[in-house]
Amino acid sequence: MQVFLQTLIGGISFGAVYALVAMGFSIVYRTMGLVNFAHGSVVMIGAYAASTFYMASRLPFPVAIVVAIVVTGLIGLIIERVLRPLEGRDFDLMLIGTIGFGTVLEALAILIWGATGHAVPSPVTAAPLDVLGIKIRTYSLLVIAVATVATVLLALFLQRTKKGAAMQAVAMDPQAATAVGIHVGRSNAMAFAIGAGLAALAGGLVGPMLYVSPVMGGSLGIKGFAAAIFGGFGSIPGAIVGGMAFGILDSVAAGAFQGYSELIVFLVFAVAVMIRPTGIFGERTVNRA
Amino acid sequence: MFPRKLHRTITAAAAVTALATLAACAAPGESTGGTADATGPIKIANVNAQSGQLSPLGKWENKGVKLAIDAANKAGGINGRQIQLDLFDNQGDPTVGTNLARKIASEGYIAMLGTSESAVTLAMAPILKDAKIPNITSGQSPKLAALKSPFLFLNAPTSVTYDETLAKYLVDTKGYKKIALITNNGTYGAGERDAFLASLKTRGITPLGDEVVTPDQKDFSASLTTIRQQEPEVLFIGAEEVESGLIAKQARELGLKAVFAGGAPMGTEPYLTTAGQENAEGSVVSSPYLSNDTDDASRTFAAAYQTAFGEEAEVHGAKAYDGARILVEALKQTGGEGGQKLADAIRATKLDGLLGDFAYDESGVGIHATQIGLVTSGKLVPQTAS
Repeated sequence: MQVFLQTLIGGISFGAVYALVAMGFSIVYRTMGLVNFAHGSVVMIGAYAASTFYMASRLPFPVAIVVAIVVTGLIGLIIERVLRPLEGRDFDLMLIGTIGFGTVLEALAILIWGATGHAVPSPVTAAPLDVLGIKIRTYSLLVIAVATVATVLLALFLQRTKKGAAMQAVAMDPQAATAVGIHVGRSNAMAFAIGAGLAALAGGLVGPMLYVSPVMGGSLGIKGFAAAIFGGFGSIPGAIVGGMAFGILDSVAAGAFQGYSELIVFLVFAVAVMIRPTGIFGERTVNRA
Repeated sequence: MFPRKLHRTITAAAAVTALATLAACAAPGESTGGTADATGPIKIANVNAQSGQLSPLGKWENKGVKLAIDAANKAGGINGRQIQLDLFDNQGDPTVGTNLARKIASEGYIAMLGTSESAVTLAMAPILKDAKIPNITSGQSPKLAALKSPFLFLNAPTSVTYDETLAKYLVDTKGYKKIALITNNGTYGAGERDAFLASLKTRGITPLGDEVVTPDQKDFSASLTTIRQQEPEVLFIGAEEVESGLIAKQARELGLKAVFAGGAPMGTEPYLTTAGQENAEGSVVSSPYLSNDTDDASRTFAAAYQTAFGEEAEVHGAKAYDGARILVEALKQTGGEGGQKLADAIRATKLDGLLGDFAYDESGVGIHATQIGLVTSGKLVPQTAS
C-alpha cells in the first residue's frame, strides 16, 4: 500500500509536467488543427533559458521562468510567422516545417549550451513532507500548484475574454471567423505564443526534477503528445486529465513491469485510443485541414 | 479527420526517411575505395556520438583522442608521416554505426578509435573484423570481450572487473551483507547487473532486491519505495551518469539511507550535480581513473586537457587518451602499416597509462584492475582496498 501511494505521488508530480506539455500541444491543435512537432524542443529551450537565467544570471527562480516564457513565446511567434504562408494551403508541409524547427532548435541548443547539459539545483530546499511514511517532495507541490494556476488562467482566457472567444471561433470555422472580422493569422500567432509559453513553463519547472540537455525534449514531447491524445486532443481539461493519467500510468507500470514498463505504457495507450479514438474529453470543435 | 491527416503525415515522413536512407546508402559507394598509400597522412577514424542522448560521452572521448593524436603529430608523427584524425558522428545508434563501419572501411582508414557505446561497437565489430581494421573501443560491456575478435581492443576494464572490485570492497572489506540493486536494461546497465550479481553470488550473497528500470525513466518512486522497505545497507546503481544521479536524488528524497555504489559513471560531474552534492556524498565508486590528481601522469594529462579544451578532464577523456596512445605506439612499430600487423602490434604494446598498465590478452582486454573511490565533499577520494 505504501509503495502504491508513493508511486501515485511520484506519478502525479511528473503528470503535472506532462499536462503542461499536453496543454501546449492542444492549444495549437484546437486553433490551427496543426500538431506542432517542434513543441518538445521548445520545452527544452524553455528549460535551458529558465535554468541559465536562474543559475548564471542569479535571477530568482520565478523571474527566470517568466523570462524563459517570453523567450520561447517569441520563438513560437517566429515559427508561426514562417509557416503562415502555408496556412490553409499545404498542411503536410506545415507539419514537416514544425519537425524541421524542432531539429533546428536542438542544433541551436548544442551550439549555445554544448552537448553535455547541466543539472539544476532545486529552488525549494525544504525537506520532503512525511505523511504517514509517504514522502512528498516540496518542489512537486510547487509544480502541481503552478500547473493548476496555469490551467485556470488559460481556461478563463479562452472562455471569458474577447481574444479567447475569437480563438475559439477560428478553431470552429476560420472562414466564418474571417467574415466577422477576426484576424485568423493573429489568432494563430497567439495560439503558438501561448503554446510555447506553456512549453517554457513545463521546461522551467521540470529542470530541477531532471537534467537539462539538448535531447530532453524528445521523451517529454512524445509523452506530452500522447497525454494530449489520451485526454482528447484539443481539449484543455483533456490535457490535464491525460497528463496526470499518463504520469501515473508511467510510474505504476515502472513498478509492476520493471524493464518492460515503456512497452506496457504505450500498449495501454494504443488500446485506449482504439477503444476511444477521441480521447477522454473528445471534442469535435476542431475540423480543419 | 484525424486518422486521414495522420496517414498523410506518415506517408510524408516515410518518403523523407526513404530519401535519407537512399542518400546514406549512396555515400560509401561513391567514394573510391583506395587503400592507404605509404606516403600520405595515416588515416584514423574516431567514431563517437556527437549528437543525441549519449553525445556528452562522445565529446569527452573525442577530446581525449585529439589530445593524444595532436601530441603525436607535434612530435613528428609516424616515420615523418602525420596522422589524420577524422571524427564521425554515430548518434549513439548501432545502425548508424554499421553504416560508418562500411564507410571507414571503403575510405582507407587503417584504424578506428571509439565508440563510447558498447552497443554501437558490438554492431560495428563484425564489419571491422572482415575489413581487418583494428578498433580500440571505450565500451566496457563483457559482451565485447566475449566476441574475442582479433581486431577489437578495449581501453578500459569490462564491467566484470569494475563490479568484482566493488563487491570485494563492499562485502569482503566493509562486511556489508544486505545489498539491493537498481539497474537499467540498456547495454551498459544490463552488463553491470550481470557482472555484479555474479560477483555477489561467488560471495554467497543473495541481493534483497533487484529492480530493473528503463534507460529513459524519470520517476523511480515505485522501485525505490520497494527497496526502502527491504532496508538494504548498500544500493548498487547500474545506469548512465544522469540516470544514476536521478536515482540517487530520488532515493534520498524518499528517505532511503543505504550507501550508493556503482561504476565509473558515479564518479563524473553529471552524476554529482544531478544527485546534488549532499545526496552523492559517500557514494562508493569503482573506476580505473579516480581523479586528475593521483600521480604525475594524471596531473600532466589534466593540465594539457585544461589548456587544450578549457575544461576539467574526467575518466572518459582519460580512457580515450590511453587508447589513442596505444594506437600511436603500435603504429610506430608497424611504421604506419595497418591490417593484421597493426592488430598484432596493439596486442603486443605494453603501456603505462593513466588507467594502469596495459597488457592485452586474447579477448582484447588490456586493464584488469580498478580502484575504489569515495565521494567526499564532491570529489572522488581513493580508498585502499584492504
